[in-house]
Amino acid sequence: MAAELLYGLLPAHLVLALLVALMLLEIFAVRPVAGRVAFVGLLLAAMGAVLHQLSLDFSTVILPGEMVVDRFAQWSQLVVLGTGVVLGLTWPANTSYKSWLLATASVFGAVVMMNSAGFAALFIGIELLSLPAFALMVHGVGTGAATDGAFRYLLLSAVASAMLLFGVSLSYGLTGSLSIDAFAASVGGGSALETAALLLVLSGLFLKAAVFPFHGWAPEAYGSAPLPVTALLASLVKGAVVLSLARVLGGAVFDANVAVVITVLALMSIAYGNLAALAQSSFRRLLAYSSIAHAGYMIFALLDSTGSRGTDLLWYVGIYSVATLLACASLAVLSRDDDALCTLDGGFAAHPVASLVLAACVLSLAGLPPFPGFFAKLMVFQSVVASGYLFPAVLAFAGSFLGLTVYVGIVLRLFRSERTEADGIA
Amino acid sequence: VADLHAPLLWLLLVLPLLAAALVPLLPRAVGRVVAFAVMGIVLVLTSVIFARFDGGADAPQLQVTALASLAGGVSFGVDAVNIYLLLLTALLFPAVLLGFWSNKEADRPLYLALLFVLQAFLFGTFLAQDLIAFFVCWEAVLLPMLLLILVFGGAERRRAGLVFFLYTVAGSVLLLAAVILLGVEHLNTHGYWSFRFEDLYGLHLSPAQQWFVFTAVALACAIKSPLVPLHSWLPLAYTQAPAAGTALMAGLLSKMGAFGFIKLAVPLAPDVASQAAPVLVLVAVMSVLYGALLALREDDFRRLIAYASLSHMGFIVLGVFSFQQTAVHGAMLQMLSHGVVVAGLFMLLGLLERRQALSTVPIDALATRAPRLAVVAMLFILASLGLPLTSGFSAEFMILLGAFQEGWSAWLVGQGALRLVVAVLACAAVVLGAAYMLRFARALLFSSQGHARLPDLGWREGAAFAPLLGVVFWAGLWPAPLLQRAQPAAAYLSGFSVGWRPAAAVSAVLPPARADAPEAAAGEVRTHGR
Repeated sequence: MAAELLYGLLPAHLVLALLVALMLLEIFAVRPVAGRVAFVGLLLAAMGAVLHQLSLDFSTVILPGEMVVDRFAQWSQLVVLGTGVVLGLTWPANTSYKSWLLATASVFGAVVMMNSAGFAALFIGIELLSLPAFALMVHGVGTGAATDGAFRYLLLSAVASAMLLFGVSLSYGLTGSLSIDAFAASVGGGSALETAALLLVLSGLFLKAAVFPFHGWAPEAYGSAPLPVTALLASLVKGAVVLSLARVLGGAVFDANVAVVITVLALMSIAYGNLAALAQSSFRRLLAYSSIAHAGYMIFALLDSTGSRGTDLLWYVGIYSVATLLACASLAVLSRDDDALCTLDGGFAAHPVASLVLAACVLSLAGLPPFPGFFAKLMVFQSVVASGYLFPAVLAFAGSFLGLTVYVGIVLRLFRSERTEADGIA
Repeated sequence: VADLHAPLLWLLLVLPLLAAALVPLLPRAVGRVVAFAVMGIVLVLTSVIFARFDGGADAPQLQVTALASLAGGVSFGVDAVNIYLLLLTALLFPAVLLGFWSNKEADRPLYLALLFVLQAFLFGTFLAQDLIAFFVCWEAVLLPMLLLILVFGGAERRRAGLVFFLYTVAGSVLLLAAVILLGVEHLNTHGYWSFRFEDLYGLHLSPAQQWFVFTAVALACAIKSPLVPLHSWLPLAYTQAPAAGTALMAGLLSKMGAFGFIKLAVPLAPDVASQAAPVLVLVAVMSVLYGALLALREDDFRRLIAYASLSHMGFIVLGVFSFQQTAVHGAMLQMLSHGVVVAGLFMLLGLLERRQALSTVPIDALATRAPRLAVVAMLFILASLGLPLTSGFSAEFMILLGAFQEGWSAWLVGQGALRLVVAVLACAAVVLGAAYMLRFARALLFSSQGHARLPDLGWREGAAFAPLLGVVFWAGLWPAPLLQRAQPAAAYLSGFSVGWRPAAAVSAVLPPARADAPEAAAGEVRTHGR
């Protein structure tokens, strides 16, 4: 049992070891570059541990009804840890140990969420995931801080937690259990209390994932945070919350009313996020609205009834997170301090490689073939259409076309240049 | 045969992509030469495939004769529909590179890489035997073209790029829905996902599903070709793209639309295709006439050729939806012929623009100032207006003959004179074609002012035009070897002919066609508004 506990939770242990290592590095005042090396190295080791488990087909129940190590836990940990690695590689060089520590705590929270089989563990994971993010927003990575946005995020996050807990307590009253399986089994029932429990849990998680109309905090928080922290919020935090949705709902079957609610929210998110993104002049706020739209696609995947909900979301979250992180990293190269979109004008002439990376990332976010983002969307749409939602899918396509105008706008900016526009040839 | 072709096809798809990745890493002086060599190898490979490809005259269906399967069942293959386009794609790229050899952008690594990416995705689009692979390549073609416009285009390149891109992607929104719908339909019928064309062709879709699929595909293809109400992106994109980009866009990208009609619209929604054929034929002839009339009034050379191209693309769609063997043959030959001729004309204009940029005197009187250029220009102009012995004549004559026969038999079985009138109107457009092309020739070649001599056609430029002219005369003088290879596709499409059906079947098919026709037309207008 002890061996299983150690091996099953090895990825989590390695992340904890990373926390300790970072503290020690700070105490001994090692050069800051060691922070990145330790962060990326130990997260890679944790990914290796997950891969080893996968290769052995290993699965175990650590604590019945609270912690499990199963297929979905392993794949989603892989996504979360991979996001962490990319984050580690793309954060600025002057990142302090405190920032690395906070990011590690967030990653640890995400890992716990993925292993959770009950709401207690899930809740602890969610709080571990988001609390360091407030601190990071205030503390800043490199320079700049955002108390206002952080405060708003904290407040709404607390509301989300309250809703989640309320829903869980209703479910506990109904089923007498805090386990996720019991909750998922009761979802399809359709009685008022069951529906209320489901909707409260969904609302809490939707708020955290910034789904319309629970999105109010996102533009402010993303817009005021330093760019690396925005990247963390948009990739790791959001991805982990959405994966936990897949975790909680798994193969649950919704009754028709809930399905309608999810469809409407997904389409509204897609439409609102993309439309509002059109009007933005700041990259981080644009990212916020784009992430609202992407949250729409992600919860759209919940409509699936062919059993591929988890797979679709794993791919979508993984591809979305990496594209977002790389976009933020290349943006940092292209426009040093300012995040106004106009600083991107003519970026191609100055930084051709970063421009092409940014273009590839935003077109991947737009879901244009042959970029990976297209295949992620294709998987979602395939299972949604197969579940009988052809018309909503067509509306969602139209929404992606709106989104495309946003992203292509960024690409066009990169190739704008007054100097070359005059003589006609770049 | 399949065993032999599979590695060749692999190379066709992989070689350009590899070159796109590696050529930019070479030193500038060598990059262009290596790029040309790779394109030459691709052309040789394609010629081998073309020479060995045997249409198989009795093949009843669009036949896959060679498959190069990738993991996950993505398959590419040569068949009677794509054999011309394969040759055209392989031919135009080296010609364009050679023709613009000394342009400013020609040794930029990005330019060479974009050409290769474009070529790879065009091969992918034409060769795909799998709907997902087709859709991915179909969309992916836009990106290198967008970048070519944005980086190397003219003064209004950003607007041109945006309009071109958004317009063509808009057509794909419904197309993707149709793609997924077809996959789901296969899942529901057979219990597993499959997007292979041969599987999807076997699906029996309900009329409503066929309408959806047909509308989606037709919309995407009509934007890409373009056909008349959906052509407004064309003049801007064709004038603002760099000369090489315009030649490739007009020569190859526009063919994707016509190809989509043959490859997707008709086989996937056969019943609706034959019902909607009169509407499509009408739209096609509107394009033919409208393009010709605009070209007649246009003074800007690039826009003139752009409108002429619109007119010629209309002929292709007219031929396809005539569902008559001769007309379909003509339509497919017109794809090859128009591809070569329009690329040649745009290359010529590109060369002239460069000379103009150097000398700042107006470009005219080529006949005295640069006689070799004038001869080449005149040959392309004659091919474009369909002079006998050139490819334009073979193709347009077959289209018109077939359309006329089809209209005649439609009239005989009592379907009204619409298709006959349409065919006659299309014949009239040939006269218009001669008028605007000769007007173009007069403006370009002859003029009273005697200016200084222009630099005449160089040997490299001549070498670039030679293979194009070769195809023009091959298809004009001895098209039989070409036609024989496309025979299965023509035979397949002509199976939808109204004239050949028993009268009872025709009357069973036709009333809904009339009832639905205004609806389809309204749908297109609405989309245009968006």
